[in-house]
Amino acid sequence: MNAPDRYERFVVPEGTKKVSYERDTKIVNAGSFTIEREDHTIGNILRMQLHRDPNVLFAGYKLPHPLQYKILVRVHTANQSTPTQAYTQAINDLDKELENLKQAFEDEKIRYEERPKQGY
Amino acid sequence: MERAAGGVSYQRFPRVRIRELKDDYAKFELRDTDASMANALRRVMIAEVPTVAIDLVEIEVNSSVLNDEFIAHRLGLIPLTSAAAMAMRFSRDCDACDGDGSCEYCSVEFHLAARATDSDQTLEVTSNDLRSTDPKVCPVDQARAYQHALGGTEPFDTAAAADQRQLRRGQELRLRAIARKGIGKDHAKWSPAATVTFMYEPEIRINEELMETLTLEEKRNLVESSPTKVFNIDPNTQQVVVEDAEAYTYDDEVIKKADAMGKPGLIEINAKEDSFIFTVETTGAITAYELIMNAITVLRQKLDAVRLQDDDADLGELGAHLVGG
Repeated sequence: MNAPDRYERFVVPEGTKKVSYERDTKIVNAGSFTIEREDHTIGNILRMQLHRDPNVLFAGYKLPHPLQYKILVRVHTANQSTPTQAYTQAINDLDKELENLKQAFEDEKIRYEERPKQGY
Repeated sequence: MERAAGGVSYQRFPRVRIRELKDDYAKFELRDTDASMANALRRVMIAEVPTVAIDLVEIEVNSSVLNDEFIAHRLGLIPLTSAAAMAMRFSRDCDACDGDGSCEYCSVEFHLAARATDSDQTLEVTSNDLRSTDPKVCPVDQARAYQHALGGTEPFDTAAAADQRQLRRGQELRLRAIARKGIGKDHAKWSPAATVTFMYEPEIRINEELMETLTLEEKRNLVESSPTKVFNIDPNTQQVVVEDAEAYTYDDEVIKKADAMGKPGLIEINAKEDSFIFTVETTGAITAYELIMNAITVLRQKLDAVRLQDDDADLGELGAHLVGG
């Protein structure tokens, strides 16, 4: 009856930004990113990647409510960096990691298929 | 401009070793990454890798004992070969049609017509009776039967045909169905994954010096204390050896046993936090290898979608000057 449509979970409504950034009013180099229609999949890898950056003093994410299909990623960095810079860097690094992983899988598949030929 | 230069990279270089790879099953080791990445891959494989499944059913005649909704639901759950799904369009973004099955980019039409004639036998209607209009997309069982007929090596079980319903004399079922691309997040019928699991690789260390102080009986008790067969006793040397580290379920039973025997530190077990053992099983809609590769592709697309756009990056003072200047 009043159940939200299932696609609401992953289709960004028109006129809404996928990612928006809001600076913290009290702390310099801190702010939070609101990512629409994403969940733990993106939130957790982003947070963990941000933790690898020594300029990041704090990084955390939350899914405020299971029926509000968005996550908040809060970042606080040291003076050498900014939250937007750290955020972009984290995405670039994750993307390169996955590109690398894909290549690793392709190579390993070839190696795997060669294995029985060598063994017997 | 300083921001464009960015910082140094904190990228990781994961390693992979495939242990077993079959059409619908894969087991592999993933190393040099963390649990967030392993879990993201698992989540994407289950809920976000697209497949094709029946989504709209128009029933022309149904005089069977099952009601229309029941049959439509069962049709939806039939796994369809979805190797082409990654390249297809979602009906909601398709501009060539309204997602009504009139266009080849986003949908595939199926027909089913079955009628039990005068014999006293009931007629079994299965996914084998579905007729696809696109040879690339058909029920998985039909594709397997076809492969088998061509001399495929995989054994084929004819009883595996999905979605059985029975028609008695004079009963008829005739319908038109439209299959669309979708993801498991929308409805589980679109999930290509039967199971995707990962575990931390255990690292088991036995304190041999302390172990020597045990009698054979005590060693046996220790080995028996584990609910799964992780340890064994070497019949020649009578030493406790690790038989299958991965059988360990992180139950702590042997460690508790060692403590109870007054030998704390006899066995130490750690989860290696950067090594994972994955098990992937698919429904047959796509192969296990395709599922893994598509999951990586989908996760990269998702990451790309959450990049800051030029207009929403808060450039602060620098940005204000750039725009103003």
